Amino acid sequence: MRQLRTGVAVLIIAASFIPARVFAQASVNPDISVIPRFVVTSDDGGDVNRGKRKFSQPDFQFQELELAIQSYLNPFSRADIIMTLPGPDIEAGKLGIEEAYATVFRGLPFDLNLRFGKYRAEFGKLNTMHPHAWPFISAPLSEEKFFGESLNDLGMSASILLPTGEVYTKLTVDLLRGGSIGDATGIADTTGRKPTYANSARLMSFFTLSDESDLEVGLSGYTGIHDPYNRERFWYGNLDFKYKYRSSAYTSLVVQGEYLANTRKAMQDRTLHQFVNASDVPEERRISTSGAYIYADLQFMKIYSIGSRYDWTESPYSKDDGGHGVAIFAGFYPVEETLGLRLEYANMTHLTAGISQNVNSVALQVLFSLGPHKAHPF
Amino acid sequence: MKRAAMLIVLLWCAMASGMVRVVTTLPELADFTRQIGGDKVKVDFIVRGDQNPHFVEVKPSYMMKLKSADVFLTIGMDLEMWAPQIVDGSRNSSLSVVDLSQAINKLEVPARVDASLGDVHRFGNPHYWLDPRNVRPMMEEIVEALAKVSPGDEGLFRANANAYLKNLDTRIAGWEQTMKPFAGKKVVTFHKSWTYFASWLKLDVAGEVEPKPGIAPSPSHTVEIIDLVRSAGVKAIIVEPFYDLAAPDQIGRATGAKVLQLPTSIGGVDQATDYIALIDYDVRTLAEALR
Repeated sequence: MRQLRTGVAVLIIAASFIPARVFAQASVNPDISVIPRFVVTSDDGGDVNRGKRKFSQPDFQFQELELAIQSYLNPFSRADIIMTLPGPDIEAGKLGIEEAYATVFRGLPFDLNLRFGKYRAEFGKLNTMHPHAWPFISAPLSEEKFFGESLNDLGMSASILLPTGEVYTKLTVDLLRGGSIGDATGIADTTGRKPTYANSARLMSFFTLSDESDLEVGLSGYTGIHDPYNRERFWYGNLDFKYKYRSSAYTSLVVQGEYLANTRKAMQDRTLHQFVNASDVPEERRISTSGAYIYADLQFMKIYSIGSRYDWTESPYSKDDGGHGVAIFAGFYPVEETLGLRLEYANMTHLTAGISQNVNSVALQVLFSLGPHKAHPF
Repeated sequence: MKRAAMLIVLLWCAMASGMVRVVTTLPELADFTRQIGGDKVKVDFIVRGDQNPHFVEVKPSYMMKLKSADVFLTIGMDLEMWAPQIVDGSRNSSLSVVDLSQAINKLEVPARVDASLGDVHRFGNPHYWLDPRNVRPMMEEIVEALAKVSPGDEGLFRANANAYLKNLDTRIAGWEQTMKPFAGKKVVTFHKSWTYFASWLKLDVAGEVEPKPGIAPSPSHTVEIIDLVRSAGVKAIIVEPFYDLAAPDQIGRATGAKVLQLPTSIGGVDQATDYIALIDYDVRTLAEALR
């Protein structure tokens, strides 16, 4: 029976990747959407070291262009290709693959869901969301410190729904190449050795609290080799939640937050600076740091939103590097998500080697979206 | 004692597995399925009557509803653009997804579709369930879908459907009689939800409060509608319960036309407890306003 199940699973996976022409299917164009983002920014951080506080001249910048090509491959699987042209240089920038993956979502034993390719791993809540879908402009400090941009890697994932009655509970496990353990998370790998691999997993549950309100909670883990020279491993644990209250089609409140805890043993920091003890003898240190954010976003009259976010973080290698602060943001979406304007004011204190610097910044973001718009996931 | 308990469990399992598990997008479809299937079906639906069926957030709880379902009934014609994500997320390989629009005589099928026209449905206006004459082809599809899962009950399903349709035909004749004096009367609607309803009752939809389908009312368009209501002698402005009343109320105040909140789904108002009660409420309320 077990062999039969395995055989069926292999056949379905294989069938999922057979080119469509084998089935003589009619040619069907995939969904294509394009979302460019532009931003005007100004901050007073430039001359703070010289004791001056003066906002810089507002600068109109190209932030990013996202091109998404998505379609079913066959009745069992679909493919998503997300390409991005990063800013700020719109003319010299190159379109790169941010995500390219196939998902087998139907037909596997135990209702297993498999994903292959390059993708944003299901770690926490914010990581799976593309920045254009965030209600704010700047990334939370903890995301920047612990992931750089995002946990986005080559790999494969398997997810399964757990039998928890009416409650939707999903367990996702990823085997990743480890390429996303970049500057922010680990030491650049120049050893030329084989990939060190990384693993992540997330357990999430979704609770319907009432007709108007829902709660999602998630617990994630991520581990890999952060120091390829000394084969040192790091461990991230993450707790996330999202609460949404929707009183009508015109009004809703979202409260979302994440807490990330990092622990690692290290012989050196990410700049290859060796840790030494009081006698100047190299030593291995246990580093335990953390970061968190929480935000609330109120949508009203359908087309407006206003919210606030609080950030607090340390860095993967030190409690003396980090930051904290508050961002206040507002959005205006006159016709669904086809056109959006966001305004954000942030007051962030950045801590570098124990020295803090407070910066005020203002940003105005313009984004628009061409192509089909999928329904919003929770 | 142990044997008796096991027997009860086995019997319960047999009974449970004998029921056809159906999930529908709208509560009307759940009502039709209950009428057809009786105690042979277990029915649930996704969109509440006071929600806009065009815009539904994809929640994991909806995927759970579909996970153990045999049949998923949809209106189709791209009304429920969110449905494929829920179907895929359910991981239910044996789910039969049925589009009930197959045999419907579709209205307002556009020659071209692009975003400059607003949220236009490429397969035509999907609000066909508001013409009760369309219930017959819808029920035919539902009977076939249920019979595929439970072939032994096809006779019962057909008999139940016929009994319901016979009663509905009587009600349709009554509603048509009620609205006969108002044939050709002009109304304004908020959204193009009432095309089939108006076509059935020979009402003339003079305009919409939305400048384009799915686009919020603008001040200039509201002024145009005020002029239209005055010049055409429109007596009623029909608004679904989930739309904002600000613009319709402004038009009503400026012109004296009555603003009617008419539900398009069961549960949209307390009185709309089933499909017949829904249409009855809409017809009676409109007739009262047009009098």
